[in-house]
Amino acid sequence: MSDSVFYKTFERHAHAQGLKGHATHYCPGCGHGLVHKFLAEAIDELGIQNRTVAISPVGCSVFMYYYLDVGNTQAAHGRAPAVAIGHKVANPESIVVSYQGDGDLASIGLAEIVSAAQLGIPLSVVFVNNAIYGMTGGQMAPTTLMDMKTSTSPWGRDRLTGQPMKMAELIAQLDGSVYVERVALYDAKQRTRAKKAIRKALQMQVENRGFAFVEVLSECPTHLKLTPQEAENWVRDQMVPIFPLGVKKELEAEPWFHMNKPNFDPQTLLQQIEAAAEASERFSPGFPAHLHPEDISLKLAGSGGDGAQTAAMLITRAAINEGFDSTHIPSYGPESRGGTSYADVHVAKTEVLSPASPNPHVLIAFNAPSLAKFGPAVQRGGAVIYDSSVISEPPKLDAGVKMYGVPFTQIALDLGKLLVKNIVALGALQAATNIFPADTFLTAIRSALAHKCSLIPLNEEAFKWGQKAVADVNGR
Amino acid sequence: MEQTQAKTRERPKPFVLPEYCKGCGRCIEACPKHCIQLGTEINPESGLVPVIIDLEICNGCGLCYMACPEPYGLEKALVELMPDVEELDRHAYFGDSKPERPQPQPIPDTAVPLPKMEPLVTKGSYASAIGALLAGCRHFFGYPITPSTEGAELMAKLLPKLDGVFLQAVSEVATVNLMYGCGGAGLPCMTFTSSPGFSLMLEGVSYMIGAELPGVFVNVMRGGPGLGNIGPEQADIKLACRGLGHGNTHAITLAPSSPQEMLDLTMLSFQLAFKYRNPVVILADGYLGQMTGRVTLPDHLIRPGIPEWAVYGDEMHRGNLICSIQLSEPDLEQHNLHLNKKYQQMIANEQRADLYYCEDAEILIVAANTPSRMAKGAVQTLREQGVRAGLFRPVTIWPFPIEALRPLLSQVERIIVVEASNGQLEDELRLALSHAEATNVPRIEHVRHFGGVLPQQQEIIDKVASSEMLMA
Repeated sequence: MSDSVFYKTFERHAHAQGLKGHATHYCPGCGHGLVHKFLAEAIDELGIQNRTVAISPVGCSVFMYYYLDVGNTQAAHGRAPAVAIGHKVANPESIVVSYQGDGDLASIGLAEIVSAAQLGIPLSVVFVNNAIYGMTGGQMAPTTLMDMKTSTSPWGRDRLTGQPMKMAELIAQLDGSVYVERVALYDAKQRTRAKKAIRKALQMQVENRGFAFVEVLSECPTHLKLTPQEAENWVRDQMVPIFPLGVKKELEAEPWFHMNKPNFDPQTLLQQIEAAAEASERFSPGFPAHLHPEDISLKLAGSGGDGAQTAAMLITRAAINEGFDSTHIPSYGPESRGGTSYADVHVAKTEVLSPASPNPHVLIAFNAPSLAKFGPAVQRGGAVIYDSSVISEPPKLDAGVKMYGVPFTQIALDLGKLLVKNIVALGALQAATNIFPADTFLTAIRSALAHKCSLIPLNEEAFKWGQKAVADVNGR
Repeated sequence: MEQTQAKTRERPKPFVLPEYCKGCGRCIEACPKHCIQLGTEINPESGLVPVIIDLEICNGCGLCYMACPEPYGLEKALVELMPDVEELDRHAYFGDSKPERPQPQPIPDTAVPLPKMEPLVTKGSYASAIGALLAGCRHFFGYPITPSTEGAELMAKLLPKLDGVFLQAVSEVATVNLMYGCGGAGLPCMTFTSSPGFSLMLEGVSYMIGAELPGVFVNVMRGGPGLGNIGPEQADIKLACRGLGHGNTHAITLAPSSPQEMLDLTMLSFQLAFKYRNPVVILADGYLGQMTGRVTLPDHLIRPGIPEWAVYGDEMHRGNLICSIQLSEPDLEQHNLHLNKKYQQMIANEQRADLYYCEDAEILIVAANTPSRMAKGAVQTLREQGVRAGLFRPVTIWPFPIEALRPLLSQVERIIVVEASNGQLEDELRLALSHAEATNVPRIEHVRHFGGVLPQQQEIIDKVASSEMLMA
């Protein structure tokens, strides 16, 4: 028995019945068996049998896992490189071989192989190019030669059915590949080169140097309708002129690939998610039942960039800090800036039921369309706080709704920073409704700006001006 | 010269095990000494014609061996040890058919206690990502798609700080196959996606189910069909419950209704995914992904182990195989029966529901995800008005929690299914009732919305009232 990493008996091949225990499923003269053999020998020579994970593709080599005594995963058609990366990042110590045929790699799986080669995480890709679909029965492959007749190019491949895809050259162009070679199997010299190339592709991964790709021009005597010897000659005479052999890329790549073991330390995680052990200070004497005994509904509406969502988030944070339940749902157009931007907020004594605010108790409107749209929906006895810098003529609403025109924008501009107009609005909300004490809001604002401390004084100022503006309105 | 001859004699020389030679003749061309020729006799076992080797002038160069595509077609032996192939005991030659290896042992998860922390104020997608981190997930694969992207963004921010892996895939197709690889290695992994992206993943989900791989898919459902919009919808219930790719597939499908449940159910999903070796789907909706609320952290996190079946890429797991192909029909039937048995176990053990005022309910509102919040509000209002309404909220949509519903059927007069889809939740309810052979099924009505519009509390109340008037 020779040294290699083939199973001694192919248990997975039809339960090793009859000859299947020691013979492959490949047709006589098929190149796949040779490539398997070179791969098996290289794995043995490099001493990586225990670390190797081989990805079997879809195609004739779908059953590679019958033969190689390594960790085996069988992948969906074309997806072997993605599956391989999944294995590699799960265990960076593993040596992952993605083995693919031409339909698999150069047609359905183009996106996966191209992105894997560009990414450059160390993998060893063995690409068997025999210019035809074998398993499905001799259909045209992306690598089928011009004028070649297949069952789906019965009149010969022509310009309308494409031109042979040169994968080794393509992969060599991508930044992540460090070693790319095209080899063949048609004579002893080529087989020696092929074996060496496959071994090298593995070695590049063992040494953590990068992504390696070996394209093997291979024989499919069955679908070429040739004898094995004729098929060897056909590869040499017909394929090689279109798919030139040789090294396409070989970088002096330094070992770079390294991943730490994942961290499961509780303190690190809690710190990363910014969980606090200490409760925020509470200032509220109790639930603001003067607005509603159980569940207060607010809506903040404006254009993207008005800061409605941030203000809504601060109200939610403030409410939860006070021990109430609260929710915030944003709703905006797909634009990052300038589109509509609405926020529904609930503050509940125990539990927010419906988080939507179709009929809010409080509306904060940053522009006229928002006020026109949502103003009429505000509940009787509720409050509307709007930006009087941009809304000069507010619509007439139900007499039971209190209106507070506060120049959010003008105050913010006077403070030198337009962005704080939403904080002005929060100050106005506090003064108009007394939903929470000012300190509740200020604490939430400071906590939200913990990473931008220099902005805290300006925001506090904006809040106070908002409060003052309401006091002025009330006083008038 | 003598030395060369001595060396040549020491080299092993080829011999053919005739039943394993397919007679392709590649060795014939390879032999520089022309020692090999096509045979003339058909081998009775293989039905093929093996080659014949004349060792007379063979110098043991090994080129024939290198040209043989069969692992065991051509073998090598030193001349003095050359076996008589006709007499050779094949069983002894290849050894015992099953390799002697230690059975891989499971490396169990460990629960690491967490100190008591203040609740987080965070949005649903973030809560789900945090749930995944707490469940021991350190591998995230995904493709950006609104409205699920925030979850992926938080993973991109946090995973590098936890020595985990965030990998933005070239597509959703690649995403699910990255998960297939990572899940195949036995590690917890996940993705966030939204409806069109989930559609793209389904082939891979079918492969994961076939190969029995764990993985968590958080689908923040948006409006469809086609590109639709980014508003909330629940129109992927059919996909998750009845259409997980090709073949006989099922996966536990969870429907959270709050940021808190986004965290809790994501943690649970990982546990279930590994318990059953099957993907788990979390169906959230666009509102829930974006909804900010109070989220209490659990009292522990999980440090994951490695299951015994994994293809991890080490000695212990070398004998393992991840695959979904079963060429023989009886084998594939057995595999399907095995999967069906797992589905039955899920149906028996994993039904979950949340019941609100159901004990004496005459009108039962059935709703999941964000619409269940509106329904809850409606139930509260209806109760204040003296109407005996209750909310039955499936937390698992598949398996549908029929066991919790069954005892209510005798008292309930009307069921109103509230959903943001064209009856996909109602279909699950009706199927479950049918399978349960429930005879006393009340009238089933519905409130439905589409395209990013959600049912509102008032229209649920109106629906209850309007029918009540009809009945009166």
